[in-house]
Amino acid sequence: MEALVANLSLGFSTALSLNNIGLCFIGCLVGTLIGVLPGVGPIATIAMLLPITFGIDPTGALIMLAGIYYGAQYGGSTTAILVNIPGEATSVVTVLDGHAMAKQGRAGVALGISAIGSFFAGCVATLVIAALGLPLTRLAQLFGPAEYFALMVMGLVFAMVLARGSLLKAFAMIVLGLVLSTIGTDLETGEERLTFGIQDLSDGLDFAVLAMGVFGFAEIIRNLENPEARDVVRGTIGRLLPNWSDLKQSAAPILRGTALGSILGILPGNGAVLGPFASYSVEKKLAKDPSRFGRGAIEGVAGPEAANNAGAQTAFIPLLTLGIPPNAVMALMVGAMTIHGIIPGPQVMTKNPQLFWGMIASMWVGNLMLLVINLPLVGLWVRLLKVPYRLLFPAILLFCCIGIYSINNSVEQVAFTAFFGLFGYALIKFGFEPAPMLLGFVLGKLMEEKLRQALILSRGSFATFVDRPISLGLLVVSVVLIVIALLPAISKSRDEVFTE
Amino acid sequence: MRRASPIRSPQDAGAGVFLIALAALSLWQTADLALGTLRAFGPGMLPRALAVLLGSAGLGLIVMSFIKEGSALERWSVRGPFFILGSILLFSLTIRSVGLVVAGPLTMLVGAYASPEFRFKESAIFAVILTTACIILFNVILRLPIPILRGF
Repeated sequence: MEALVANLSLGFSTALSLNNIGLCFIGCLVGTLIGVLPGVGPIATIAMLLPITFGIDPTGALIMLAGIYYGAQYGGSTTAILVNIPGEATSVVTVLDGHAMAKQGRAGVALGISAIGSFFAGCVATLVIAALGLPLTRLAQLFGPAEYFALMVMGLVFAMVLARGSLLKAFAMIVLGLVLSTIGTDLETGEERLTFGIQDLSDGLDFAVLAMGVFGFAEIIRNLENPEARDVVRGTIGRLLPNWSDLKQSAAPILRGTALGSILGILPGNGAVLGPFASYSVEKKLAKDPSRFGRGAIEGVAGPEAANNAGAQTAFIPLLTLGIPPNAVMALMVGAMTIHGIIPGPQVMTKNPQLFWGMIASMWVGNLMLLVINLPLVGLWVRLLKVPYRLLFPAILLFCCIGIYSINNSVEQVAFTAFFGLFGYALIKFGFEPAPMLLGFVLGKLMEEKLRQALILSRGSFATFVDRPISLGLLVVSVVLIVIALLPAISKSRDEVFTE
Repeated sequence: MRRASPIRSPQDAGAGVFLIALAALSLWQTADLALGTLRAFGPGMLPRALAVLLGSAGLGLIVMSFIKEGSALERWSVRGPFFILGSILLFSLTIRSVGLVVAGPLTMLVGAYASPEFRFKESAIFAVILTTACIILFNVILRLPIPILRGF
């Protein structure tokens, strides 16, 4: 406990320096600004804004990135409430009641309660991260290559089970991501693999190139195809601050949402995406009058939004302590950290405590910042949402191009991104969900490394994965998960959860 | 109206063929790499094993498409992908040789044409404004080494 306080105070002294507060503020502001744009999810937002963190010291850059991340998340919720478009999977549920509230002239209250719920969830999640950081890092130091490999297998299984749509397609996407991760020079022999003789691919495919192609450009092409049905709320936003009865109604859902979101967010393989769904169905079950849900029930906004933000934040735990990104957004954070010379993992906390705790403290600062920025700026977001897509997308296009170019100052990478835009478009057309592919891609390299290390240590015996108890446990969980997901009853209700 | 086709889910069948094609491509590209043994992996082991897995997933999708009802194949549009991807390629061709002053508006205008609602005057004005803003943001404030104007 004492250590926790000491660590947090170190963190706050870092995060509260004038410079870092400024960076956090800018990060939150531009993150929200881009995240609010319809059709731009957090992945594209972060990838687009990566270049603005270049030239800042690593601690400041990470604080700014975290700000961008929260901003992007919150921006997505704003879009969900004000327009009927969910920015990403996690704000799908917010659309249901949030937009219904907005139609009743209570958009302000919906935004307000979502900001308050998110802030509360963020505070709790920050404490959870701080408390779990140390023990999990110790645990991670016990992990050998076999355990790491098994953990990543479990993460990918989670990602497969939690993906929308068919399990087989999600499995295919993960394998495709793994295949893409083998592009480049082989670790041991230095032979080139799958580079098609292209010089620039010998270092492997850049994550930002794949992410931007599949989530940025392919998304634009898809949006252009579907004639726009943007239903921006007309009329007044109404007052922003919820009144006493709103607060009383939302308090319990926020608490429950925070708990659900925090726990699910820690799971490897995008558990965070479950948080809002779980919270929404819990609130609906607990409600005296479930028929209010979908017609502007404030609990249906408060709970899921708290869960969303808590999960978004605790998703940092596997990344910071184990070095394993649990979802595609976190995978992008790995890329961003690597650009700044930091390899996420248990060593960050011991080697660079100021950065580690500074970033955690800045999460809290960032949440406060969002509350302060967003409520007064709602008017601006509404106006931004009214800009027609035909003007928005060329701007997004240019930002993406500049972003990709400036990561390595390479024109080839820009061209590759165009290729992956087409690739991503093809995936969408064939009904694939690209998010698991990105996770497979990010974990792929690390998995191959750990697999080969484990086999060298065990002199080529695969028994090492079942002989070691932790590794065995993780693999058993993975198998059980797959079996459960394949059970007819579960797979049916899984379909229902994602179509609701 | 249902067509008399044994394939009940054309989208899945297409997806399966797509995956098999990707698997075949990877197998062909990694054909020269040593597999090694299960005890000591060579560079080709994982990529080839994964490609086989990918191909099997594709095969599974094709088989399932005969059994389970599913979506029809979606129509591919041409204008969107062509102008969006074209504008990105134009950016990559012009950014270093000419600079952002030209690459910016060019990318935005060509890209904007991907939308059927394209209006030249509006897009042109916006492109100039945004390019200027980008130059101020990225070159002046952030000092990123993005070429502004070269070759003149």
